Amino acid sequence: MAVAALYTVYLDVQVRGRFEGARWTLPAKVYADPVELYIGQEATPASVVSDLARQGYRRDQDIDAAGTFRAGGSSVDLHTRAFDFWDGHQPDRRLRLAFGGGRIQSLTALDDGDDPALMRLDPMLIGSIYPSGKGEDRILVKLGEVPPMLPAGLIMVEDRNFMDHFGVSPKAILRAAVANLRAGGVVQGGSTITQQLVKNFYLTNQQTLVRKAKEAMMAILLDAHYDKEAILEAYLNEVYLGQEGGRAIHGFGLASYFYFAKPVEELQAHEIALLVAMVKGPSYYDPRRHPDRAESRRNLVLDIFEESGFLDSEAAVAARGRPLGVTDAGNRGTSQYPAFIDLVRRQLKGQYKDEDLTEEGLRIFTTLDPDVQSAAHEQVANGLEALERSQGVDGGELQAAAVVTSVEGGRILALVGGRQSRGAGFNRALDAQRPIGSLAKPAVYLTALDRPRQYHLLTPLDDRPLRVELANGDIWEPANYDNQSHGAAVPLYEALTKSYNVATARLAVDLGLPSVVDTLKALGYPGDPIPVPALALGAVEMSPMEVAQIYNTLAAGGYYTPLLAIRAVTTRQGEPLNRYPLQLRRAFDEQSVYLLNWILQRVPREGTARSAYLTLPDRLQVAGKTGTTNELRDSWFAGYGGDRVGVVWVGRDDNQPTRFSGATGALQLWSRMMRDIEPTSFKPARPEGIQTLPVRLSASDDRRPVGRDCDQAVQVPFMAGFVPEGLVPCDAPVAPDAEPADDRDSNWFLDLFR
Amino acid sequence: MRRLLLPLAVSMGMLWLAGCAPRAAYPPPPPPDSQDAAESGPSDDQSAEPSPTSDASAEPAPTLTEVSGPAVVALLDSSEQLARAGNPDRAAAAAERALDVEPRNPFVYQRLAALYLDQGQPEQAEAFARKSNSLAGRNPPLRAANWRLIAEARRALGDTVGADAALSRADYFAGQSL
Repeated sequence: MAVAALYTVYLDVQVRGRFEGARWTLPAKVYADPVELYIGQEATPASVVSDLARQGYRRDQDIDAAGTFRAGGSSVDLHTRAFDFWDGHQPDRRLRLAFGGGRIQSLTALDDGDDPALMRLDPMLIGSIYPSGKGEDRILVKLGEVPPMLPAGLIMVEDRNFMDHFGVSPKAILRAAVANLRAGGVVQGGSTITQQLVKNFYLTNQQTLVRKAKEAMMAILLDAHYDKEAILEAYLNEVYLGQEGGRAIHGFGLASYFYFAKPVEELQAHEIALLVAMVKGPSYYDPRRHPDRAESRRNLVLDIFEESGFLDSEAAVAARGRPLGVTDAGNRGTSQYPAFIDLVRRQLKGQYKDEDLTEEGLRIFTTLDPDVQSAAHEQVANGLEALERSQGVDGGELQAAAVVTSVEGGRILALVGGRQSRGAGFNRALDAQRPIGSLAKPAVYLTALDRPRQYHLLTPLDDRPLRVELANGDIWEPANYDNQSHGAAVPLYEALTKSYNVATARLAVDLGLPSVVDTLKALGYPGDPIPVPALALGAVEMSPMEVAQIYNTLAAGGYYTPLLAIRAVTTRQGEPLNRYPLQLRRAFDEQSVYLLNWILQRVPREGTARSAYLTLPDRLQVAGKTGTTNELRDSWFAGYGGDRVGVVWVGRDDNQPTRFSGATGALQLWSRMMRDIEPTSFKPARPEGIQTLPVRLSASDDRRPVGRDCDQAVQVPFMAGFVPEGLVPCDAPVAPDAEPADDRDSNWFLDLFR
Repeated sequence: MRRLLLPLAVSMGMLWLAGCAPRAAYPPPPPPDSQDAAESGPSDDQSAEPSPTSDASAEPAPTLTEVSGPAVVALLDSSEQLARAGNPDRAAAAAERALDVEPRNPFVYQRLAALYLDQGQPEQAEAFARKSNSLAGRNPPLRAANWRLIAEARRALGDTVGADAALSRADYFAGQSL
């Protein structure tokens, strides 16, 4: 007797300790960048409706509730959700968006507030940071905040006597025992909601008699100490409702996002019924894997709702006729962004302890743009497959990674770590260290153009064979991709647009390799490459992310800004913990970068990346560079429009040769990706101290007859004060020996002065 | 000989060019279409795009409200209010949000430069002011204000020579202002 009493006390302490202490660990919640709505923003009713649908907004003619909208021909009315952003609370609003000319023309208040100049939608929840391996994930809800039909429905379906019994229900146990005896096995459990909670909270999943007894005793103790509401609320947050890899979905708060992409407050009758139905067996009734089973059990639950008077018969018939309404797997967050979440985790590491991230329910506001991410993912997954088919390569060996950034602000908008969409796996965007090949060349040319006394865009470079004796006595003899020499006087810009190795290597040797290393570092490369001549041709290993950092600096006119995946972190209650402010460093003179960008814009027009314009619209100005490494082991393209930098790598994990050069592999994925994300044109502002002169440029493979007028002239920029001597407008300025000109096209203007 | 001839050649070339406007300048101008027509909307970064510095037309320099959409104007306004209310972090957040809306608006960079200066981060202040200049185009008052910020930043760093140089740049642009 005394032993029994002592044991009861022991159980009592256990029960109260768990129930009153920190009941749950809450993984940090990761949010995508919110959609901003403002006057002048490029948008159509259809694009806004698609954003709203993705976030679980519901069509409703009277938009009384948050999370609803109605769409007209040229306007969308919506009732936004209130949300605690890192910079403060944004209340829910009823607004009309009017569209015209592909833009939002006005935001008009439909409530009592002022017309806002801009408005954020609540951000999309893209994942959680839970302990690696196994983790429970949940979003806490309060009993008073959920639709009343949810707890009431749970009681009707799971435990009708919940409000009356004392923790266990002898009636239910008896009923279950009879049923089990008849069936000759366990077909029915007599567990009350309290017992289910106890089982989840305190006990292992063994089915023994002792455990059953312990469960019953603890349930009675729990019921004695706490009111029904507290127990029910704990149940709402604890119940297991699904699985995604190592992440267990607990509670209705998270389940509502997991299955319907919206907060539990907004659930409709048929959605509530589905979640209640799933309590019995979340995997057996998984609406994504077993929609038929899930639907028939949901309708059973709707019958109970109707019998209980929660729904009139008309509403019940309508609800039973509704589709399940779960978001498709591709849209449910977490699993779709493993590489990005991995990056977020790494950027937080060192600032937060693991427990803070996995237990405190922090809110992490990231820079991810779901549309850009989905375009990048699409090209790495399906685009790569198309590429393989086009080359008759066996499927599966090829891998790819992609990074997209915002140029100004250095926001990471998308990150794809490999072609497999599921699971974390090897994050190639961050961890694949590969030689960058010709992607290194712009650093050589920028080093040169930063010395205006010596170099300008038309400086003749020597592309004849080169032998360099290295420090260790080896002889280094770089060769061009086509194994041709292009003469002793290739204009500087052309050597880069055509990616000539020998001219570039000689230029780098003349400049001094330590200077090229300095340039790479100034552009944002964190490593310390060995200053050997081969560096000029890409003998340095980088991850796609590191390449993106360097090219982002070029795209931003020479201003380095550290690439960021996180804007801010707040506590669960919305108090700001950390903001990651925008930082800038002026890495180069604007003029030098402007000149380099002039060349890099010619690469897709007439250089190694010409095939980009088979995919991209002609009016879109982009700049970039191809990269290919020995025996086609790595295929790279890094390039940008006005507001998007994209880096794509294609290769094999085992580092074997592929069949793709930078142009035939990575560039193809890049072009399609950029077509889909629709960047603005790259139109760098011309800095002070740049002047342009019209010059007739003739590429060496361009044998079109050139007229005496300025038909073929190009505005070539120079640094003021460093315009080369002897340069005459509309004339071929350099490499006369590479330019067989007939009399008619001879340099008549200069001849006047000879 | 050629050295002497160069200015002559170039200037004569210019004369010669005057009667011969290049018709195939690179990059080719985009064909007019609805998309580009739409790009002249109020908040597009193109509207903040400066006219070339060589453009010597004496039009008054565009002001914040002329080059910015209502969202950016509202955000910069709120940024200033927040800064005055002693909340520099949220003031910067508001300005950064403006940058997300119009990533190449030089007034936004100037605002951030001023905020960094107030927060005792002169290096950042100078970087943002120079970035503002790099996007300013022909806007002498804006450039003058940026150079004054740079002068203050350099003074805060103890670089008096650099500060004086920046001030004379500021004066130069102030003199060009209408």
